[in-house]
Amino acid sequence: MGLLTKEIERAPCTVEISHCFESLHAHVRFNNGAVIYPGDEVKVQGPEIMAAFGEVVSEDREAIIVRASKLEQLWTRLTGDFEVMELCEFSFSEEVTL
Amino acid sequence: MNMQVPQNSRTSGATHTADATTVEESLAIQEEQAKYDDKFATETAMANTLLTPRFYTTDFDELDAINVDGIRAEWDELIAQMEADPNKGHFKKNEDWDHVDWENMEPQLKKEFIDFLISSCTAEFSGCVLYKEMKRRGNNKDITQLFQLMARDEARHAGFINDALREAGLRVNLGFLTQSKKYTYFRPKFIYYATYLSEKIGYARYITIFRHLQEHPEHRFHPIFKWFEEWCNDEFSHGEAFALLMKTDPKLTSGRNVLWIKFFLTAVYATMYVRDHQRPAFHKALGVDPDWYAHEVFTKTSELTKQIFPITLDIEHPRWQPTLERLQRANVQIAYGKKQGGLGGKIKEWLGSAKAASCFVSLYAIPANKHKVPKITRLVPAY
Repeated sequence: MGLLTKEIERAPCTVEISHCFESLHAHVRFNNGAVIYPGDEVKVQGPEIMAAFGEVVSEDREAIIVRASKLEQLWTRLTGDFEVMELCEFSFSEEVTL
Repeated sequence: MNMQVPQNSRTSGATHTADATTVEESLAIQEEQAKYDDKFATETAMANTLLTPRFYTTDFDELDAINVDGIRAEWDELIAQMEADPNKGHFKKNEDWDHVDWENMEPQLKKEFIDFLISSCTAEFSGCVLYKEMKRRGNNKDITQLFQLMARDEARHAGFINDALREAGLRVNLGFLTQSKKYTYFRPKFIYYATYLSEKIGYARYITIFRHLQEHPEHRFHPIFKWFEEWCNDEFSHGEAFALLMKTDPKLTSGRNVLWIKFFLTAVYATMYVRDHQRPAFHKALGVDPDWYAHEVFTKTSELTKQIFPITLDIEHPRWQPTLERLQRANVQIAYGKKQGGLGGKIKEWLGSAKAASCFVSLYAIPANKHKVPKITRLVPAY
């Protein structure tokens, strides 16, 4: 990893989307053990994966991981905390009026 | 691989691609399913709502290093309770789910209520993504087991809210994974403070509405409120888990970290106050005065957080309420400035931001109430 350069990596992954009453979830698992670090960007390749209501869809795809540069990683570690309030749930969006 | 669980069963032969014996049969089932999905989507003209959760990383080594042996008895009791899954099967519609007259719902109320459903669904969903990530990346069995259980609850809640959204003609789109997403970073302790508070205040919010509607059922404009009690009991146990995680390291709740705790308490209470006051139609329909509601929720949350935090905010202080009101007005001013645009708008926005910042500082500067943290942390929902 360079100080300023980004590296691009491809990783096989499995995407699971559940659009069921019992569970609404969507997860990506990298099948080659790739690990995501702060500031990295991930994009699953191919068309949008849609699950109709009542379905669980699991697909093997490829993901492109754009690795953050060393500097960007450091920056994300230092500043990420400023956004920590978004972990809190307030029932409503931040829009003042709808 | 494409596993599909069709919602409707068909009348003859195999109904699932997994049961198909020939390629032709399998293709026919898939084609039939596609037709059904398209027809359903067109007929109902469902609006698509793209869920946009955020993605986080944290210091997973620090999570792995947590040792719950010092609080083993309390920990095991909580995990056993979560594993017993008392709410399994609860989150489904039954005869208590009254008909909802979406057509005739007052338009402003409808907008605010849908905002409530979408925001709640996104929050549950994001929680599920975060917890699942912690489960997957961790190597400490105690920790991964906890996060797995919490991810289960969040996904279940999201599914339940999603069902209510479908009834309102809104289709949640989970296609966000194929969009580029950046992973941000939070320190574990910030995740504990923020999530602990969010779960406990969530419990206080839901139980207050639930008890209020028990006394005033005429204000229950949607059946989902009947499910709030069990729902918030899940939030309560998640909060218990974070309290125990913080208990494993006394440094997290002492010394300079107390200033962080005060920061989170102030930020969470203030944000809740502002957001609730932005949804007047919702609160009017429930017959709830948002000022009374805020005070009630803060009182309950403060009582609960005494289990682990050595301070609570002095919400009876003479400066507390008027400053919250000023903060709310400053927030409206910022929004008006943004909407107005131009130089005049920008100035309005800046002035609003300066006012909001000074309100926050003023709230933060109110001396906190100090108290002794009890030896036994675990609580049971009692409101």
